[in-house]
Amino acid sequence: MGSTATFTIGGLPLTLSGGKSLAWALALPGMEVFREERADGVTIHLDETFTLPECRWLHRFDIVDGMMECRFGVDAEEVYHYTFGDAGHLRFDPRKPDEVRVSPLPDPSVLRYVLWTAYSIAGLWRGAVPVHASAVVCRGRAVLCLGESGTGKSTHTSLWIKHIEGCHLLNDDSPVLRVEGDEVVVYGSPWSGKTPCFRQERAPVAALLRLEQRPENAIRRLRAIEAFTALQPSCPPALAHDELCTDRMVDFIGGVISRIPVYRLGCRPDADAARLAHQTLMA
Amino acid sequence: MRIDESKKVRHVSGENIVIMQADGAADMTQVVALNESALELYNLLKGREFTLDDVVRAMLDTYEVDESTARIDAAEWVFQMREQHLIIN
Repeated sequence: MGSTATFTIGGLPLTLSGGKSLAWALALPGMEVFREERADGVTIHLDETFTLPECRWLHRFDIVDGMMECRFGVDAEEVYHYTFGDAGHLRFDPRKPDEVRVSPLPDPSVLRYVLWTAYSIAGLWRGAVPVHASAVVCRGRAVLCLGESGTGKSTHTSLWIKHIEGCHLLNDDSPVLRVEGDEVVVYGSPWSGKTPCFRQERAPVAALLRLEQRPENAIRRLRAIEAFTALQPSCPPALAHDELCTDRMVDFIGGVISRIPVYRLGCRPDADAARLAHQTLMA
Repeated sequence: MRIDESKKVRHVSGENIVIMQADGAADMTQVVALNESALELYNLLKGREFTLDDVVRAMLDTYEVDESTARIDAAEWVFQMREQHLIIN
């Protein structure tokens, strides 16, 4: 025990400490890109042995294509806990928001998800939120495509890259969104879904784009309340089941949608959809 | 009837909203917006049992409306609030 490694992810300095789990973490594809010599920030303590107390479970959900049941809850001391099937558990005390503790895991299979979970709750306290999106950068400015799984987020960003000059993919699953001063910015992350796209890169966000499959391409700017409804489901879902976390998330989303426009694009998976969106958002 | 205060009114980008968290798929989440007058009635009546007559009285005390208008608006408010599951019983 006692090894550490430091990273910067989403502009947030992060230390991982632990034994076996740390070695596994360092071997995860993409993690190396985010290694940086930083001492401050949030520490995720891996391989910590602690008992799971009695909890009020707020949310149950499946990961690994329904193979593992996870729970999110809060104990009598108002400390948050996640469980990952029988594989392990995680605790976060909002009074000590710079620490997340994770129990020893039996194997590396769930570790990427555990690290994402740890980041999602500690990041919320630091204003860094991993958003379920495919993010494309076009001439230095980013667009995040949001939508339910299977809506064609990745397909749409790949159409930008193919048909619009000067575009590249920043992240295909879980880029980190932040409000910095008057700007909304997005960072690459080590969580990129099925696409291995790990970039230590930051870009100001031009707009958010909520996608819906439609027989015709049409785009519309959303009013504040619609913009909220467009972004909220793409933020880490478990946190929406707790009041304190929701307060923070609502502040965060309010900060985002008051600074940048949010659009809804009804679209086909074709080049015209990408051109329409690009013309509207980047003009 | 009673206002369901387990659903909290939040303020975001100049709107008053209530998030109706669905169980299961997160994308099922509904957001309800309350306009200023709906919110004012909500604040006046929360935390206690009330009847339709109480809503009418609150409207008459707050706005310059005659009783028949207040009665129609109160019924409409109660109907909307029930539809959104913000009033229970």
